[in-house]
Amino acid sequence: MKKSIMAISVATALFSGAAVANLHINGFASIKGGMSTSSDKSLYGYTDELDFKNESLFAIQVRSDLGDRLSVTAQVMGRGSDDFDARFEWAFLSYEISENMRINAGRLRTPFYRYSDFMDVGFAYDWLRVPQGVYGLGFNNIEGVSLYHTGQLGDFDSTAQLIYGSFSGDITLAGNSASANINNIAGVTWELERGLLSVRAAYLSGRSTINAPGLNPLFAGLHQAGFSNVVADLDFNDDTSEFFGLGVTLDQGQWVLVSEYNRINVKDTFFAKRENYYISMAYRFDAITPYISFEREDHRSKSEIYQPYRSILPPQLLQPLVAVVESQAVDSKTWSGGLRYDFHPSAAFKVQYSNENNTLMDSRNDVVAVGVDLVF
Amino acid sequence: MNFRCVTVLMATLSLSTPLLADALVVVVHPDNNTQLTTDDLSRLFLGRVRTFPNGESAVPINLAEGLGARETFDERALSRSSAQLKAYWSKLVFTGKGSPPQEADTIDEMVKLVATNPSIIGYVPESAADERVRIALRLE
Repeated sequence: MKKSIMAISVATALFSGAAVANLHINGFASIKGGMSTSSDKSLYGYTDELDFKNESLFAIQVRSDLGDRLSVTAQVMGRGSDDFDARFEWAFLSYEISENMRINAGRLRTPFYRYSDFMDVGFAYDWLRVPQGVYGLGFNNIEGVSLYHTGQLGDFDSTAQLIYGSFSGDITLAGNSASANINNIAGVTWELERGLLSVRAAYLSGRSTINAPGLNPLFAGLHQAGFSNVVADLDFNDDTSEFFGLGVTLDQGQWVLVSEYNRINVKDTFFAKRENYYISMAYRFDAITPYISFEREDHRSKSEIYQPYRSILPPQLLQPLVAVVESQAVDSKTWSGGLRYDFHPSAAFKVQYSNENNTLMDSRNDVVAVGVDLVF
Repeated sequence: MNFRCVTVLMATLSLSTPLLADALVVVVHPDNNTQLTTDDLSRLFLGRVRTFPNGESAVPINLAEGLGARETFDERALSRSSAQLKAYWSKLVFTGKGSPPQEADTIDEMVKLVATNPSIIGYVPESAADERVRIALRLE
């Protein structure tokens, strides 16, 4: 992120009115390796074979200032989990309406969480990975328009964001690959910061349509048997989807406490009612920052969808119906501990151990990972 | 002992010591008579505002990383370590929300930049702040 004096001359030229395209190239990368300590179990994509690909990534960002407060930014990222196939993670035009108002349009990051915008930039936070229990929803990108407003509210620094757009992409639903469209996504986030305290709230809603071919036989069977109303309670057919999130950070300089909570519901579908939170605490010793965190995932399956039909439905329909609905249930607690070591001005070494206890499956999964996050 | 040698040694000492012992001063162009608090300063260098309290546009310039005065400034004016600031800026850079102040590679260069542009605000060790610039704030 070093700017040379050449850039200053260019900037000075811009202030004097000359239109010079000002190109900024930045990048970040993470090289991470990890493994689960027990055989035949996996967590966060790791197995008991040491793997250096799963969470590694490279990204290059190019921003061009076109003058007159207009700029264009593209971020191309290759993730190890995608075999490092490069794809546009962000690509947007940005126009500064005023000193404290900016409009971005294009492919943006869905602002669900406090760290959404930079969750891939490991250098920007202490953990080896953002808490997956809270950040694991998916739908991370959105095509649309976003309005940012920064300002002061009394002694608080305020950042507000309005976003509107849509998502389309491939996801996994109840173990089936599926194509998802979320339309009319509208959201608002607001962050207030003062001294050591920062509070953030986010609300987003949209309408979800998901087509999972693997589920079609069940839906067709229910239709044929005259239970179309059950299908309507199950499928994702332009159904109202809501996300609400709250975050608090207390940064005393040495002690840092971060916590986020969210609840998610997609009405009239078999998507469980989800409530997740984490709480994390870190202590900065100069260049070394150890931390611990606790995550909780509570996804309550909508068993009320099949309960009234238990004695009515034939077993060949009831069994898959119950299986699909209950596949959404999660009740887990995860403890993580790790540290960040800033061994270089642009690079941080990290190590983290995470242990997830899944109550419903009565299973424990763990993963230990080390890695380096850098920016350039 | 060769006299010239001693002079060189003295010069070397006087070049390196100001970075450690000197007070750090925030400098602006002599025509710029804006009044600043440390809060204003921190907002400017964290990219939260882009104007001086009097409404004039402001261009903060950092000293290059690795210069002792830069680290002192990060700690005294922004209450953060250089590593924390790098993490702070990577959040903004990679989300298209801002970019860090541009950098002057040497203290001389900083003084020259401030002396030529009333919008520029920088900082140097007190001993380097000559009549070409105005001291807007002292950071003890």
